[in-house]
Amino acid sequence: MRNAKTVTLRVLKYILLLILSLISVFPFLWMIICATNTAVDVNRGKLTFGTHLIENLTALFSPDLNFPRALLNSAVVAVITTVLALLISSMAGYGFEVFRSRGRDRVFNFLLISMMIPFCALMIPLYRMFSALNRAGLTAIGLDTYVSVIVPVIATAFLIFFFRQNTKSFPRDILEAARIDGLNELSIFFRMYMPVMKSTYAAGAIITFMNSWNSYLWPLVALQSENMRTVPLVLSAMGSSYTPDYGMIMAGIIIATLPTALIFFVMQKQFVAGMLGSVK
Amino acid sequence: MKKSGWLRRLCAGLLCASMAACCSSCADDDRGGTGNGSAPTSGTLTVWAWDDNFNVRAARAAADAYQRANPDATVQVVSMAQDDIVAKLNTAFSAGNYKGLPDIVLIEDYRIQSYLQSYPGELADLSDVTDPQAFMDYKLKVMTDTDGRICGVPFDSGVCALFYRTDYIEQAGYTREDMNDLTWEKYIEIGRAVREKTGHAMLTLDPNDLSQIRMMMQSAGAWYVGDDGQTVTIRDNTALREAILLYKQMIDAGIATQVSGWDPFVKAFQDGAVATVPTGCWIAPSISQAADQSGKWAVAPLPRMGNVADATHYTNLGGCAWYVVAHSPNAALAKDFLSKTFASDGALLNQLAADIGLVSTLKSVSTMSNYSAGVEFYGGQAIFQDFARWTEQIPPVNYGQFTYDIEEVMTGTVQSVVNGADLDAALDSAQTQAEAIIVG
Amino acid sequence: MQEEIDLSGKLKRNGGGRAAKTPGKTMRAGPLERRLGMWGWGFTALGTFLILMFVFYPMVQALILSFQTGRGANLRFAGTANYARIFTDDILWKALGNTFIYLIIQVPVMILLALVISTLLNDRKLRFRGLFRVAIFLPCVTSLVSYSLIMKSIFSNDGLFNQILMGLHLIDSPILWTTDAFWARALIILSITWRWTGYNMIFYLSGLQNIDPSIYEAADIDGANAWHKFWHITVPMLRPIILFTTITSTIGTLQLFDEVMNITQGGPANATITISQYIYNLCFKYSPNFGYAAAVAFIVVLIILALSFLQLRIGGDRRDA
Repeated sequence: MRNAKTVTLRVLKYILLLILSLISVFPFLWMIICATNTAVDVNRGKLTFGTHLIENLTALFSPDLNFPRALLNSAVVAVITTVLALLISSMAGYGFEVFRSRGRDRVFNFLLISMMIPFCALMIPLYRMFSALNRAGLTAIGLDTYVSVIVPVIATAFLIFFFRQNTKSFPRDILEAARIDGLNELSIFFRMYMPVMKSTYAAGAIITFMNSWNSYLWPLVALQSENMRTVPLVLSAMGSSYTPDYGMIMAGIIIATLPTALIFFVMQKQFVAGMLGSVK
Repeated sequence: MKKSGWLRRLCAGLLCASMAACCSSCADDDRGGTGNGSAPTSGTLTVWAWDDNFNVRAARAAADAYQRANPDATVQVVSMAQDDIVAKLNTAFSAGNYKGLPDIVLIEDYRIQSYLQSYPGELADLSDVTDPQAFMDYKLKVMTDTDGRICGVPFDSGVCALFYRTDYIEQAGYTREDMNDLTWEKYIEIGRAVREKTGHAMLTLDPNDLSQIRMMMQSAGAWYVGDDGQTVTIRDNTALREAILLYKQMIDAGIATQVSGWDPFVKAFQDGAVATVPTGCWIAPSISQAADQSGKWAVAPLPRMGNVADATHYTNLGGCAWYVVAHSPNAALAKDFLSKTFASDGALLNQLAADIGLVSTLKSVSTMSNYSAGVEFYGGQAIFQDFARWTEQIPPVNYGQFTYDIEEVMTGTVQSVVNGADLDAALDSAQTQAEAIIVG
Repeated sequence: MQEEIDLSGKLKRNGGGRAAKTPGKTMRAGPLERRLGMWGWGFTALGTFLILMFVFYPMVQALILSFQTGRGANLRFAGTANYARIFTDDILWKALGNTFIYLIIQVPVMILLALVISTLLNDRKLRFRGLFRVAIFLPCVTSLVSYSLIMKSIFSNDGLFNQILMGLHLIDSPILWTTDAFWARALIILSITWRWTGYNMIFYLSGLQNIDPSIYEAADIDGANAWHKFWHITVPMLRPIILFTTITSTIGTLQLFDEVMNITQGGPANATITISQYIYNLCFKYSPNFGYAAAVAFIVVLIILALSFLQLRIGGDRRDA
């Protein structure tokens, strides 16, 4: 009896997990199917692969949509944001942890409050700050530039907190040995800390890159010109057009998802490890 | 009677003059417009418009015509969702950032006052391009700023009509004659018959979009705001009350299919899912896109509200005009483009009637060839002549600058009434909220 | 010299706890400390400056702005009029109401689901474990805009989902996912849950791996069933992680924008509108009113601060007990 019951339970468990997995995966399958079908077939709910993939890709890369430019914009913004954010936040996180003092702890705790402030509250004043630059003639760093979408997000309390937490596991002996060897603090940071904390950087990089690559609200507000738009903006505009061509949109979504999916699968372990580093 | 009317006009004039003294809404023409005789004829213009079947096609046709006459000029037409255009103009104007803005932009009549008053000077003065004698008055009124300057070039009429499937109506036991002088009450009755006999819905309604109510309201010369565009008139608005009640009746009678957004709306009638489309005449090209339904459609005047004394068969929905971004480096060329196309080219507008079903607001066009011609898709009916005739009878109202702000409140109000809330209380609360919006 | 370095080193080691309360004891103002202190400010200055500049300074600006009113470029001082308007603004209350509906239904459902899945997956004897884990985590690699558009296409009124249900004769007429207030909200909740359950699961899974299996074995001996083990071992052991995910999910839900903007655009009749979207609309969709939008934004900040405080109290107290 007991055996029969545990077997049923096991089978139920597999069925449940299978259903949940299917639910999770199905929209991806649908996205790929759609990308091979015409918009009409998508609306009809056609669930088999079609032959329209090339046409959808051609439509997606037609000159007036400027999709390659959007990909380039997203890539430039995401890469620069990631590099700068990692550098600035890891230095700060390291600084707050290694050079502890009452003053800096207070500053740090104060900075943590910013994690609670929703972006929608900052959007309007940020927008006005940058537009003030435009009005002052500083259009190179005003709205509608890479600067305007990168600079406000390169220092986040979350990432500083994340690095500070992970710095706790950085072996003190290395630090002390290096100081005795006469290395200055900056060299210690760059030559000792960075190589040791590789996996923390990897995790931080994934989080930052994904956030930046997928970011929507602020670019929507800050970026104007057609040739400055990032991928989410272009996709969203396609989806809100009068007659959305879902075949083409899904092809675009696949391309937009590839980089993040790839990064995730290659760096899965670091990602999980890194995320947890911030919880403990 | 006469005296009071005269007095009121004088007062209105004085009020306008006093407002003009403190602010001017559209930009002074300081860039040397078409007047100085040396208008540039080369360069690249960008035009933003929405609706690929209609506005965008019109802009492309105008671009072709202009480029043929001015080979050095290039006109690019960019198709964009209207919401995107609105958001982009708002962000650009409030930031003073003109990068990426077009030279010419299409703006809906309901919204234009919001731009003219929120961002004075951002749209160019087109008084020298648009001849007030040439266009219909109701249309000019919406794009005139507080200084009396005309800031746009009028484009289409939003005159409304009842497009209907003759086959469905006949199956339901009604004739074409029955459709010509309908009240909404009778319309609902026919809708019930249609649903019973054919299984189809009578119309689509979009809970996000109160165009049905706006149409009915203006057909009685009423609006959310009074003639000054500022005084909220929701509370004691008989036309609005009645419109909401009719809206509720349509839903309660089960004759309406709910849709969300433009695409499902178009799909519903193209798939033959609804028997009628009561809306602006600009829908004609989308209807005739379903070529297999040729000959099955007819056009009647919009039904009238039976219980409202001032109600007519004539009203407006949407409609838009062309504007020039004042800070555009190509503003002069843009003006030249508009003055030679939409502001004067009767032949082009006549051709557009045939091609996209444009009902122009340029007076001279209504007597041209394509307007009197029968349209095969509508069983040979001369629909443009009807549209042009009905356009002249639209009761003018002042939309003010808050149509969509107020509508955002009203969508909730209407839904709550549909779900059984008390109408008077709902309108009362809407009135308060709308007043708060306008004061804020 | 050596001794002093040791001292600061020791400070770090016990810094994992709450040693910050007595740092004065370890940081005497010797020349080395002063030098290290300078380095400390040097390392932290840029990050601190940027956050002050792009979070706290804008907050001050928003506060000032919230006392002004006017359309677009014409702003003037308005006293507390904006805050007064909040009380009569049905759309704002609707947006707040919607956000709380999402919060109260979606966050617990998702966290419970993620907990259950991770418990199921934490079975070492389970076959295809890695496959299941990757499959359930997969939704997280999509961007918010992308998955919103996918959901929009599956759940349109005449879309795939309705067609399947109607094909199976489970429903007679299509579910009005985008035009019925109830279903539209359900769609938003469904979508968010789809996107984020796997994300939260990853945290719990790793947390579970740190739980000593002997605890479960002891429970087995005591005859505890799976349900008991879940509520009396798993959940209490994961409390800090659950607290963390609850707070991040709460903040995320209160900031909801991309999904609603791209799936329902806030409709039908504002039935799904969120606060972020309302703020966006006030600035860029209607006649722009930055002052009022700033006042609304400030209310959101207050709500988030209050909620986070509340959750920390609830989540934190029990741990101390």
